[in-house]
Amino acid sequence: MATVVQVEGLRKQYGNVCALDGVSFGVHEGEWIAFMGPSGSGKTTLINILGGLDTPTAGQAIVDGTDVARLDEAGLTRFRAEKIGFVFQQFHLVPYLTALENVMLAQYFHSTTDENEARLALERVGLGDRLKHLPSRLSGGEQQRVAVARALINHPKLVLADEPTGNLDEANAETVIRLLRELHEEGHTILMVTHDPEIGQLADRRIDLAHGRVVGISDYSAKGAVRFDR
Amino acid sequence: MFWRILFQMLRGSRGRLAVALVALISGAAVISALINLDLDIGSKLTEEFRTLGANVVIAPRDVQAGSQPNSQVTAKVDASSGADRNAEAPLLMNEADVLKQLGSVQLREVVAAAPYLYIVSRAEKTQVVVAGTWLDQALKLDPTWKLTGNWVASREDQTHCLVGSGVARQLHLAPGSSLELSYSGRVAQLRVAGVVNAGGADDNQIFMNLPVAQQLSGLSGRIGLVQLSVGGTAQNVTGVVATLANALPDYEVRAIRQVTEAEGSLLARLRLLMFSMVLLILVLTALCVLATMAALAIERREDVGLMKALGGSISRVVGLFLAEVGVLGAIGGVVGCVAGVALSIWMGQRVFATAISVRWEIFPLTIGLMIIVALAGAAPLRMLGKVKPAVIFRGE
Repeated sequence: MATVVQVEGLRKQYGNVCALDGVSFGVHEGEWIAFMGPSGSGKTTLINILGGLDTPTAGQAIVDGTDVARLDEAGLTRFRAEKIGFVFQQFHLVPYLTALENVMLAQYFHSTTDENEARLALERVGLGDRLKHLPSRLSGGEQQRVAVARALINHPKLVLADEPTGNLDEANAETVIRLLRELHEEGHTILMVTHDPEIGQLADRRIDLAHGRVVGISDYSAKGAVRFDR
Repeated sequence: MFWRILFQMLRGSRGRLAVALVALISGAAVISALINLDLDIGSKLTEEFRTLGANVVIAPRDVQAGSQPNSQVTAKVDASSGADRNAEAPLLMNEADVLKQLGSVQLREVVAAAPYLYIVSRAEKTQVVVAGTWLDQALKLDPTWKLTGNWVASREDQTHCLVGSGVARQLHLAPGSSLELSYSGRVAQLRVAGVVNAGGADDNQIFMNLPVAQQLSGLSGRIGLVQLSVGGTAQNVTGVVATLANALPDYEVRAIRQVTEAEGSLLARLRLLMFSMVLLILVLTALCVLATMAALAIERREDVGLMKALGGSISRVVGLFLAEVGVLGAIGGVVGCVAGVALSIWMGQRVFATAISVRWEIFPLTIGLMIIVALAGAAPLRMLGKVKPAVIFRGE
């Protein structure tokens, strides 16, 4: 299986704080990876660098053949539009755009908009009857489903989900996880940050971080999980 | 999608944007009113100045014309001299010659023109200045004259005259009175058609048709000067003077400078005042937009961070926000311009007692100015270009 993400010796320094300290791992195409660890362990920083939202201080982060560290501002913008689909804990929908328009916004920045395709994406996440609703008129779970539809609309190489169920009640969290499972079954590569061990076990692999370092990788893809502690 | 997003942005922030819009509409209204007035005020002022009387005179070459036409060329003959000095009057002009040359020049700006012959005649035992002219042109040359009685409608009428209110008082004359004027043994019997109240030197004169004054003075075919009322701006007057000077090289053609210069000076001052006010209003409007946009830029940081995270380039994202401000400026410009035109019409009626014409060129001008002002006031939005999505998502 092709490697879609290759991280080598990745470091990120914020002043005196070292958020990532020599992180290395690889991700195969179609894999579902769960990053786990305590707050401040560097999970979100790692996701941000892989998504082109932040730049590393040192090391390599190659996503689909592109070294993110070498991209300039314009290159990162293009990279995000073409290769990444984001799902955030806080949903991050544009408040004055409807559910449909929020999905179309991603299309607009990627290339051209296709309202029909955006509608189908929302129907797929069960929001066919909420197309014209503003985010303020949607529940948390519905907003996160809009975010999932938006993340998938441009067929990204990588779906990055930062605590996608962190702000949801149990029922809505289950809905979102079901969606992620479906995406995984369809062959999408998903990198997900989570605090929830149960959700973490749904992934193919779980990468544990602490103090900016990889402290363990658990492989759940085979029957009978194997844990490789470092 | 661009316009869809733009519409939703305008709708979503309508409360805050309303403040900037009100500022833009107010600014556009005052600016368009001032510009409309400024563009139209030249002709309105000129109309006002034309009511002050003639503004161009044609006189013999060596006559030093004063500021008042009436004080210029009183023929150097008077009743007391007792001599016909027609032949000795080099400061008079040949009527036929002047009028022939004047007739060869076609000038649309000339509102009225009339020859004048001033003599000092005797009425009863009083000396009085007599002006022989074309009485049918009198009202056009001096629109401010107020008349009791009747005008002398024809320049051929040799039996009626107009008398200034001062003369009428002194000689106890009223419309219908008989008047006997004598000059060097010649006598003219006239009936007063009307009494003129001009509020100046004209009140002390008697006005009759030119042939009567010529016969009375024995200066047949001679005139002292020609007065013209020229319409248009001070530049128009100067142009007419130059044209006439070319056409009548034997005579002195000059503008009555006090009127022309007062007009030019007043216009220049009004223009400076209006320009200063327009500039001040533009700056104030920009500051108001600036304050609104600064607050809006802070509100929009998260949206911009998200748009960038989704792959929106700086130019595309900031372009959206600038377009929003530009649309705001255009709306403010259009609405304000309509209000401004109404305001200028109202001001025109108040100030000039006449309707100010709508100058359509102020619409693109005001709308353009408002878009520029709105964009200048949107300077804080530039900081949105520096927004880092990761920083925004960290809640910093």
